[in-house]
Formats: sequence, structure tokens, C-alpha cells
Amino acid sequence: MAVLRRVVTRPSGTIPLIWLAVVGFCALFPTVVATHDPNAADFASLLEGPSGAHYFGTDELGRDTFSRVVDAARPAALAGLQAVSISLILGLPIGLFVGYAGGWWDRIVMRVVDAIFSLPGLILAFAIVAILGPGLTNAMYSVGFLFSLRVIRLVRGMVLSVREEPFIEAARLSGAPTTTVLGRYLLPNMMGPLIVQTTISFAAVLIIEAALSFLGLGVQQPDATWGSMLRDARSFQRDNPWIPWPPGLAITLTVLAFNTLGDTLRDVLAAGPGGGSKAPRRGVALGLADGATTAARPAVDDTADPDPEALLSVRNLSVIVPTSTGPAPAVRGLDVDLRPGEIVGLVGESGSGKTVSALAVAGLLPRGVTIDPGSRIHFDGQQLVGLTEARMAQVRGTGIGMIFQDPTASLNPALTVGYQLAEPLRIHHGLSRAAATDRSVELLDRVGVANPRERLRDYPHQFSGGMAQRVMIAMALASEPSLIIADEPTTALDVTTQRQVLELLVELCDDLSMAMLFITHDLGVVAEICDRAVVMYAGQAVETGDVHELFATPDHPYSRALLASVPLLDDDEDRLVTIPGRVPGPGEQIVGCRFASRCEQAHDACAAGPVDLVTLAGGDRSSRCLLSAAAVEDGA
Amino acid sequence: MAPTLAFRLVAAVPLVFLVSLLAFGLVHLIPGSASETILGEGATPEAVAELDAELGLDRPLIEQYWNWASGAVRGDFGRSLVTSREVSDTLVERFPVTISVASGGLVVSLLIGVVGGTVAALRQGRLTDRLISLLTATGLAVPNFWVAVLLAFYFGVQRDWFPAIGYVGPTESLTQWIYHLILPSLALGLGSAAVIARQMRGGLLDVLDRPYVRAARAKGLRYRRVVIVHAMKNAFIPVITVVGFQASVMLGGAVLVEQIFGMPGIGVQVVGAVLAQDLPLVQGVVMVSAVAVILMNTLIDVSYAYFDPRVRLS
Amino acid sequence: MTGSLLRVENLVVEFRGGGAFALRRETVTAVKDVSFHIGAGDAYGLVGESGSGKTTTGRCVLGLQAPTSGSITLGTDDVGELRKRDPQLLHQRIQAVFQNPIASLNPAMTVARILAEPLRRLVGMKDPAAARTRGEELLDAVRLPTDVLDRRPTELSGGMAQRVSIARALASSPSLIVLDEAVSALDVATQAQVINLLADLRDETGVSYLFIGHDLAVVRHLCDRIGVMSQGALVEEGTADQVCHSPQDDYTRRLLDAVPVPDPTVKRVRHGHTTR
Repeated sequence: MAVLRRVVTRPSGTIPLIWLAVVGFCALFPTVVATHDPNAADFASLLEGPSGAHYFGTDELGRDTFSRVVDAARPAALAGLQAVSISLILGLPIGLFVGYAGGWWDRIVMRVVDAIFSLPGLILAFAIVAILGPGLTNAMYSVGFLFSLRVIRLVRGMVLSVREEPFIEAARLSGAPTTTVLGRYLLPNMMGPLIVQTTISFAAVLIIEAALSFLGLGVQQPDATWGSMLRDARSFQRDNPWIPWPPGLAITLTVLAFNTLGDTLRDVLAAGPGGGSKAPRRGVALGLADGATTAARPAVDDTADPDPEALLSVRNLSVIVPTSTGPAPAVRGLDVDLRPGEIVGLVGESGSGKTVSALAVAGLLPRGVTIDPGSRIHFDGQQLVGLTEARMAQVRGTGIGMIFQDPTASLNPALTVGYQLAEPLRIHHGLSRAAATDRSVELLDRVGVANPRERLRDYPHQFSGGMAQRVMIAMALASEPSLIIADEPTTALDVTTQRQVLELLVELCDDLSMAMLFITHDLGVVAEICDRAVVMYAGQAVETGDVHELFATPDHPYSRALLASVPLLDDDEDRLVTIPGRVPGPGEQIVGCRFASRCEQAHDACAAGPVDLVTLAGGDRSSRCLLSAAAVEDGA
Repeated sequence: MAPTLAFRLVAAVPLVFLVSLLAFGLVHLIPGSASETILGEGATPEAVAELDAELGLDRPLIEQYWNWASGAVRGDFGRSLVTSREVSDTLVERFPVTISVASGGLVVSLLIGVVGGTVAALRQGRLTDRLISLLTATGLAVPNFWVAVLLAFYFGVQRDWFPAIGYVGPTESLTQWIYHLILPSLALGLGSAAVIARQMRGGLLDVLDRPYVRAARAKGLRYRRVVIVHAMKNAFIPVITVVGFQASVMLGGAVLVEQIFGMPGIGVQVVGAVLAQDLPLVQGVVMVSAVAVILMNTLIDVSYAYFDPRVRLS
Repeated sequence: MTGSLLRVENLVVEFRGGGAFALRRETVTAVKDVSFHIGAGDAYGLVGESGSGKTTTGRCVLGLQAPTSGSITLGTDDVGELRKRDPQLLHQRIQAVFQNPIASLNPAMTVARILAEPLRRLVGMKDPAAARTRGEELLDAVRLPTDVLDRRPTELSGGMAQRVSIARALASSPSLIVLDEAVSALDVATQAQVINLLADLRDETGVSYLFIGHDLAVVRHLCDRIGVMSQGALVEEGTADQVCHSPQDDYTRRLLDAVPVPDPTVKRVRHGHTTR
């Protein structure tokens, strides 16, 4: 019902529904709407244009076109109802059965369906009408049969995709018999696509019905249908050019209404229950409404200037994402510096904003996600925020290499690995084809891919996950970057493969003097490869520092709790430390410390106002906690 | 690619066999026998039985199928019950016209569909995109025979830009052949163009969100190159599937549209045959169109291998 | 080892590759001659990398996959035979929690109905009011507020959904729960909560676990005994401490070496580079 309400509140739902209601009314009560007897000839007014007496003019027998168009709504509606219900009655059980039973049943039925599908639908309809004889009902039997094949395909496909979902497995473990699994688990989850398909089927049936009538194989004279009216119109078009328009428009508008309604239903259903009704508004000023971040940006602050010695210096980075309640900052005023050759870890749980920050630096944010214009990203002395796409592509091609989480999905399945490797070499370094190939072989060899020259001709799906990630690394090296941004590059890999890839990355950074920004949720990985780390929570850096110091004496309560919640191979603690509650979303307005509600040491002051990142005693560490700030002041 | 094609053709044989069973089965679903159709109402049972024996309709079904199928393989579909003409003669004479119209429609739909869909995807959410989606929605809703009626009248009769009627074979005059095909192809192709444009737009948008497109951009490639080299080829894969469906739709539509343009295709014949229950002719048409569609789909299967290397190797 | 609850003996699972019409069928052996026992109230960890056969072994125990050879015995009953004779009884006694928390719950049902299903089918609790009361108790047992009963899976966080899955598994008071990568998809903080919950539930109810996972540290934390699988075979088995501290098998050693440790002084890939 909620779905219906959301369909009705959209113009793309309301307008088709109104039109279909009009058609439905005409089908039910044609005499109320019609102005004349649709079959009464009037030889005094042949082939007239539209007038007050005849809204849509008259035909070759002087019959009132408006009344005939209205009268033809009934056979159209009847045809649609008949054919669609036949298709559902036949198709639904068969589709459910073969999809769920599988095996030989499935193979035999689907072969037959494929065979019938290889016949042009209209020609098959001819054949069936040839057997049953002309007439609307016979025509609709044949159309209903044809459409049942579509339903079988659709339902079977959905059963196959839903059948493998873990919740079906769980249902079977809960003791649900097959009929229950089909009726209560599969069917409700298929209702959406089925309703959409049914709506669109109505449209297709109307067109076929009209085509058959147009050919004289549907309703017999003198009763009007939109198709037969068009057929008659052809002969008298020269005398009255107006004549094919009313029935043609009637078909088109009704079909359009069904199609549009189907699309709207699909959109509404795809948005999920309750959600998605408010799309992020375009062109809204993306200022940060949140008090915390505004105040965290002091008007005059020389620390907000980029570090001139750093290779990458990020200042005040805020990234705005669309949420159900409007645009909101997923990253709030992040500062990060990477010196040449340094490996810095950006570590946090999901929702911390670590990946979005990395993509922002590379200028690869998804559509709809934007960098706040007050942010500064200095790479190699150049401000990247505000660069055009073409200039940014230049920076990526010559200075920054990227490695992503899912290596096999990050390689183009349709192109050979050799092509994808050679592409940046030829474009950014102007190498010839042969030189690019040689260099590609060198690169693959460098990252430890065996038989590099032969493997250039292979496609990505021929590589294992670990090997594909090595190819990605080779691709990142192709631009001879001074900075590598690695976004969870080992998360999808097995632990032994992860170790090899990590060793390779560290070795490459050493040998080629590259800096690396390493994004991960795994504190273990950070401890093993990073020089410094930035711990992120709910869009903010909560603690930064040298990894040895950070892991030895974590300062921020969140860092401490996070570290204590990791199970270790050799600790004999019976219980893990847990953090109650959950990470606040980007849209949640929190005045004070964003971690306060989950913090064991929180006190009143924590919620009172925004908390700044303060430099801790010892210089190179900072923490966003009032307790630390107090400690620093005491020490000072 | 040649072995792939040969393999696919062999793989299509069971499908053709299945279709032939269907086409043959049609005869036996009909109330009354072919002999009754030929002799008309009021024929004596003796006369019907005699003709049955003459036509071989008293033999076992398997034998009848064998006779019909072995004939069909050689291109012999029997004689029309109405005109007594060889069905194959009618097919050879008329099918090229229908195929021409169907091919013309396919070309139109591909050209307009691919271009329209790509432009819409690249201009997502902007005015151009909205305009194209409005046009595709309309294209999907307009019946091709109505478009044909309107095109024939406004561009063939009122303004004499294109021939509104008739057909010239390509062997006679290639330019005239194309000239005569323009209006029918347009009428037939616009609907499918809308289907293809939608798929192209959706497919391209889907591909543009894939990790490998982001990775291609990460290599520092210009957006134009990313779209053309990295996205288009992958976006074509679902489009090809749709084109396969449309080939079948085109053939059915051609039967309709060619009649409006007074072209001597299979259309008029088949409608007449359906009304007269002239089953050998209907069977022949069903069989030949099925084989044409199966051939087309085989070609499409083979072309997958070009676009999707995963298919090539498995 | 008297009173073993679950005995897996010489389990072999082969999959035949290729389609129905493939000329050459290749046989892939997913599980090679695997044997282990789980005592009543014990937690047994099965560790391995992707493709090691650990999940297939778990599915055999659940009766979702038929073994090619070998036997699985629950108490005194053969699992394969029990599955044919009385599947309800099998499912009442062995339950499961899977990896993907949200996808494991039917999006079309409320939590109340999800929990009522095993109560009705496996325990015979037909009365809706009674089922609701029991549902509240189950949610309480997994430390969720009772108002979760009227929510749908899409309105739950990953950690909450996984707790609902655990509650559903507990509903029939099973003697064994198969936990297939049950905490792998969760964030560290949530993972810690669920691990603690699982440990508490074992203490409270005496249920046994077959915990399937790839993270040795997590498995060690939760399990008494650990079996290490590689390429379908069980390469090492022992108490959690034995396996983690004095591994006998080469593969186990490599696996242990590869586990990242969140302490830069213990293991470090990066040497040499200094920040300043």
C-alpha cells in the first residue's frame, strides 16, 4: 500500500493512472461517454472533420469516430485482461516449478520455451489463429499463450537468483516445507518484478491485439476496435487525413500509460520500502550546517596551510555525500601529510570516511559526491581541488598510482592485460607499441608475474585474485608515480596472498622511493607496513602519529577501544573489549565529540562543544580528545 | 572464429528440430482435416477419406512427420491447399522482400538506438537525456503499423519524397531498392530503436559505475577515451542480446508493414493463408522464419565472443 | 573423547564439472578424507583459505550437501539418513548462521515472523502469542531490544541482523550450530560484540559450535579445538593452543606467519624507513 501511495504521488504515476481510469470507464460504460451509436451509419455526413456534432469527425459510413473510439475501449480492455490472465495462470506455476525443481524438468521446459521464442511472435500468433479460426478471443488465447512464455522465463530467472540467497537456505533449516519456501519466501520477493512485467505485458498485448485487428484477424465487423479502425482509415486517408489519428492516438496513449506506470512502479520498488523518496537536491549550497566542523575551522590558523615539504598535504578536506536527509559531510575537515617515501595508513571502520577521503585525493569521487570548496589538497606543490577533469587525469597519469580493493573487478574484462598495461605508457610517456610492450614485460616481471610476455595476451579472468592485484600494481607503476594510493588492496585476498602483496608493496616503495597512502580497516596491516597512521572515526581524524608510539600508547579512547577489540593469536583474555552503540551517520548532527555517546570516559564537557585535534607532548602525535587536551595543558 | 560458428550452427540443429515438431504439430491441432478444407463444406465422407489417402493423412503420425520433414529439408513444403501452387515457390518469390524490410528495420533501429542511448547516458540527467527518454517512451508505445500509415501518407502521398507503394529488387537497381525501403524501415525500426536506446543507456550507465572504469580513470585516461575504449565494448554485450530479440520482432513486424506499403512480401500471403486455413503455407512460413531467426541468433552468439572474452574461452 | 556429539569420519565430497552435455567431465575433489569429532558443549574451529573445502564440510554437516563417501553422525544418528527420515528433527538439532547478515534474513518478513518460523516448524509452537513471547526471550538472549521484533531486515544494521540470525538458530534449542564465517562481514568493534555473545551463549546453553572461518585469531579466541584445512584436506588438528603456538604442519606455520599482528614491535614488513 505504501508503494501505491508513492506511485500516486508522482506525476509519472498519477497521469498514467488517470488516463487508464478514463479508458477503464469507457470500457465499462461506453454508452455514458459516447455521443452517438457507434455503429449507426449516417450518409448525410461522410468523412467529416472534427466538429461540435462529431468531436473526432466521421468515417466513410458517416459513423461518429469519437463514439467508435470510446466503444473500442471495451474489446481492448477485455483483450488485455484475457491475455494477461492466461499468461499468468500458465506461466507463474510452471516458472516457479521449473526454477525450483531444476534438473531435467528445467532443461526440457526451457528448451521448448527457447524453441517457441525463436519464432517471431506475430507469425506464431498467425499460426495459432489459423488453427483456432479468426476472432478476438482466439487471438487473445494465442497472445496469452505467447506471453506465458515470458512469464515462465521471468519467474524462473527470479527463482534461480533468489534460490541461492542465504535466507532461503536458512528457511529450509528452519524446517519450512517446499510449498512454504515457494509461497512465503520466493513469491513475495518476486512480486515487484512480476507486477512490473504484468503492467508492461498489458501494453504489449494491446499492440498485438491492434495488429491482429488491423490485419482483419481480430474482432469482426462492424464492431469497432482501434486496430480495425486504422485498417479502414487507410483507404480514406486521402479524403480525410484526420481519420487515422484518433484510433492511433488511443492505442499509443494507452500503451504509453501502461509502460510509464510500469517504469514508475519499477523505480518505486527499486528504492526499497520507506526509502528513496527524497532524492538529493541539486544545486543546494553545500555549506556545512554542523556546528562541530564549522567551529573546527578557525578563521585565522596558520596550521591550516599545506606543509611545503610534504609530497601530499591535505588540509581541511570535507566531502559531501547525498543521504536520505539531504547532502551531508562524510569527511569533516581532514588533515593528512605524506612526505616523499613515507607510508601512511588511513585506518577506520566502515562509515569512517577513509575510502571517500582517498578517492577525493585522486579526484575519483562517484557522481553526486563532491569536495567542499574550502578543502585543500596539495600534491607536488599543486592544488588539486578545482582542477578540470583533463588536468586531473594528467596528474593521475604522471604522479599518482592507484590500487583498489577488488582486483579482478578493477580490470576491464573485455581487454587483454597487455592492452590495459600499455595504454598509460603510450598515452603519458609517448612510447611506441614495441617499447610499451617491452616496458609492460618489465613491469609485470617487477611485480612477480611469471612468464610476463605470454601473460600480456591473457584476459583478466585468467588471473587469480593475487595475480590480478599484482597486475593492478604494475599498472599503477606504469605512470612512474611518486605517490601510491591503495584502497584496501588486500582485503579481498587470502591471508597468505595478502602477506605476499604487502611485502611487494613495501619493497616497491623502498626501491622506487614512492610514498603510499594505505587505506585499511585492519590494524594488524597498519602495524606491519605503515610509518605513520591516521585513525578515523565518523568522518574525522581522531588520532594521528608514528605507528610505534600509536600502537604502544594509543591516546584517544576510540583508538584504545578499537585496538583492544581485535582478537589476538596469543592473548589469553577471555573477553574482548567492545564498544557499545554504533558509528553515527554523515547526516547526524552532533554538537560535541562525535564519539562521546560510546565513550566510557565521556563527561558533560564532551557533549558541550566541538573538540579540536590537539598536538600531544612529544610533537608528532595528535588526538581529538578533551582529556588529552587537559593533559597537554597541565604539562605545559 | 570459424570453428565457433560451425559449433554454434551444429548446436542450433536440435532447436530447428524442435521448431519443426511444433510447426508439424499445428496441422494436427486443427479441428477437421486438410482434406475437408480442400473439398469445402458438404464433402462426402468417402471423398474426404479418398483424399486423405492420396495426401498420406491416413498414415501413422511418425511417418507423416518424416515425409514432411524430409521434404522440408530439401525445400519442399508441399502444395498450397488453396492455389495448389508449390509452397516453396511462393516462399522463394516473397521472402526476400520481407527479409529486406526486416533488415532495413534492424539497421535503422541499431543506428538510432545506439547513438541515442549513448548520448543519453553521457548527458545523464540533463535536458538531452530527458528529451531522449521522452522520445524512447513514445517510440515504445507507437504501433509500427500506425507509423507506417502516417509515413506513407505524409511523405509518400502528400509530399512525394519517397515511394509510398511498391518494391524494387536489389538486383534490378540497388539505389531504387534502398529508396523503396526507407519509409518501411523507418516505420519498422523506430520502436526497436527505442528498445535498443534504453538498453544502451542503462548498460552504459551500469558499466560507467564499475570498478574497472574507475581504475581506467585512475590511470589518467581522458574521460572520452575511458568511455569509448573501456565502457562501450562492455556496454554492448546486453545490447546484443536485445538485438537478437529484435530480429524476431522485426520479421513479424515486416509482415505487417510491407502490406501497408503494398510490397509483394510474404505478409499478404500469410494473412490469406491464415483466413483460409491453408496450413502447408502457414507451416512453410513458420519454418522459414524460425530458421531465419535461429540463424540470426547464432550469428549473435558468435559475436558475443568478440565482445566478451570470457565466452570465447569457455 | 567419550560422548562425542558430532563425528565426521572419512568425509569425501566430489563435484562433477561441466554441463549436462559436456564431452569430458572433470571431477573436483572439494573435501578429501576429512575426519574430526566435536564433543558436547565444545567449540570446534575449521580454518582455511578460500577453496580449502571448509564451507563444503559445513554444508555436509547441515545436510545441505550430500557427501560422496564417508559418514557424519550426530549423537547416534547418521545425518544423511536422518535427513531422509525426519528432516525436521535434523534441523531442530543442527542449526546454522551464515556470513552475510542481511541476506540471511527474508526481506519480506518481520523479525517476529522470522523467529516464529523455526518455533512453529521445528518445536511445534503453533500459538502466535506464545511464539511472540518466546521471540522476545530469544532477542533478549542475543542482547537485542524487543522492539526489534516488528522491524524488517533492511532496517537493521549488520551486527543486529547477525544477532537475529543467531536468535533464529537458537530457537529450536539445537545441540550444534554451524557458524560459517559468521563474523567475517562485520566491523572490528561489532565483531568483538558478536564473538563475546557467542562465547556467552555457549556458557549459558551448552550448545556446541562448528565455527568455520579464515581468521585464525578469531577462531582461536572462540574455539577449544582447531582443524586446519588446505586444498580439501585436514592438514593439522589439535587444541587451539597447540595449533597456534606449536604448529606441526608447514601450511599451518605459513598461515600463522601471514596473520597480521596489530603490534609493530612483533612483526614488521617495513624496515629501515624513518619518519624524520
